[in-house]
Amino acid sequence: MKIIVSILLVIMSMFASDATIDVVKKADTLPSIALEDASVSYDSTFKIKFFKALAADLNVLSIFNVDKAQRNIDFDASRVLVENKDMNYVLRYKLSQDDARALNVEMKLFSKDGIVFNKNYKVNSSDIYMFVAHTIAYDINNFMGEGPVEWMKRKVIFSRMISPQRSELVVTDYTLTYQHVIVKGGFNLFPKWANKEQNAFYYTSLNETKPTLKHIDLRTGKSKTIKSSDGMMICSDVNEDGSKLLLTMAPNGQPDIFLYDTKTKGAKKLTNFGGIDVSGQFMENDKIVFVSDRLGYPNIFSLNINTGSVEQVVYYGKSNSACSAYGKYVVYKARESSDSFSNNTFNLHLVSMESDSIRRLTAVGVNEFPKFSVDGDAIIFVKNYQSQSSVGIIRLNHNKNFLFPLQFGKIQSIDW
Amino acid sequence: MMKSIVLASAVAALLVLSGCGDKNPQVDANDGAAVSEQAAPVAPVQASTDSSETAAEYMARIEKELKTIYFDFDKFSIKSDMQADLSADAAVANANASKFQLKLEGNCDEWGSDEYNFALGLKRAESVKKALVAEGVNADRISMVSFGESSPVCTDKTKECWAQNRRVDFKLLP
Repeated sequence: MKIIVSILLVIMSMFASDATIDVVKKADTLPSIALEDASVSYDSTFKIKFFKALAADLNVLSIFNVDKAQRNIDFDASRVLVENKDMNYVLRYKLSQDDARALNVEMKLFSKDGIVFNKNYKVNSSDIYMFVAHTIAYDINNFMGEGPVEWMKRKVIFSRMISPQRSELVVTDYTLTYQHVIVKGGFNLFPKWANKEQNAFYYTSLNETKPTLKHIDLRTGKSKTIKSSDGMMICSDVNEDGSKLLLTMAPNGQPDIFLYDTKTKGAKKLTNFGGIDVSGQFMENDKIVFVSDRLGYPNIFSLNINTGSVEQVVYYGKSNSACSAYGKYVVYKARESSDSFSNNTFNLHLVSMESDSIRRLTAVGVNEFPKFSVDGDAIIFVKNYQSQSSVGIIRLNHNKNFLFPLQFGKIQSIDW
Repeated sequence: MMKSIVLASAVAALLVLSGCGDKNPQVDANDGAAVSEQAAPVAPVQASTDSSETAAEYMARIEKELKTIYFDFDKFSIKSDMQADLSADAAVANANASKFQLKLEGNCDEWGSDEYNFALGLKRAESVKKALVAEGVNADRISMVSFGESSPVCTDKTKECWAQNRRVDFKLLP
């Protein structure tokens, strides 16, 4: 009997560490949390906006049952509101505007044992209140001892199509609440953060005779040209320290992947197949994954940069045209229908390099541009469904998807 | 002339939130400089054929003589019913348009805006280039670009519309 239990425990622990296995947590087993608003500045519209943003962030954490009621209280009240007395946690916060019009947020977290965590925040403008909400949720997640959610505080950059051959590059938070147009006018696509600090980015400019890769430093506002290529020029990925780029170029009309060194400015051609090789993504151990039609249809392959050996990564589906890698996991976009005369469905799937298991992550619509977060906790993607563009977040270990719709235009590509 | 204004007013979201307990984390909201950039203007071209027509007008008129080449769903091979149009394009390229550079713009339907779709658009442009070269057009005159799905001529959700977007357009450059 002991042996059977031991074997079961081993099997359970094996599955527990495999993100390709669905994890279903029942919502009613999660601890409850309520918010108490003790704000002394700002009108009710702003207060509601902040409350909704914070409640939504706590919901995305997927570790609480979040109460939807917005209730007011004095910040220094020693007890929680009577309506919240049965909650496992109560998050009380106070918004106040100082003389310099900065937004100050004081926060304290109550449990049955009284105040268990408190912290204050300040931002120069109330316009970026959503980043304070994201940071509070991030800190509470840390306090609760959960896995990292670095992506929650990070910025997202995307290109939005306004009309044919007209686009703009937009910096936003992961919920699309904050939006700042960074590059306006012209035809600019495929923005990609240039470093972990997110203080610079690359993008493809199609305004010149040849497709051109540009770089903008957000600290100085300076724009510089990196490289041009006939046909195609896209920065597909940036390595961890920002020193190497994977570029798709087509100097002779032939799309291939190049490894570009940002210091020496040299580009090494990595693929030599006569068809389409695009979308290189860095992996561990000097490997990349990429999309190639070398089998007659687009599929996902890996390539060892040192040896040049190529291996097929995905054995399911006949049209897999985008991917992202984190550790042993690869997320890819698969066409689920091949109908040229009606709507098609593209879903995201997660595959492990170490096992054959595949997990489907989306259900309907055109789901594309999957990209792992820096900590591997989540995947961001673009969903186009019924003429609506949205940014989606998949919490892999919580088996939850969240969608944030774009108000206008269509998202062409995204990075975070 | 393409005009592109780069508004690099850096994002207020450059949060530097650190510290613990009751410390006030500060936010570094960096307001960067605004940069504007402009592509070089298109140089005027002398056209000797028609004195009442400007060079740009002449180029635009000849450009209209070049027929768009259409493709099948998810394919970049030249369809048999497009051969006649391609031959006509090659004839224009070697006659009235012989003084100009040719830019081939590859396009796709709306099913995907990722790199693969851009590559598909480019392979369509490359197929047209090979066909033109086979009919005697100098390869050095031809440049290519792919717009993926980002330059549709039709945005309805119909099969006819998608078919119109799977195409290679011709542009003349001085």
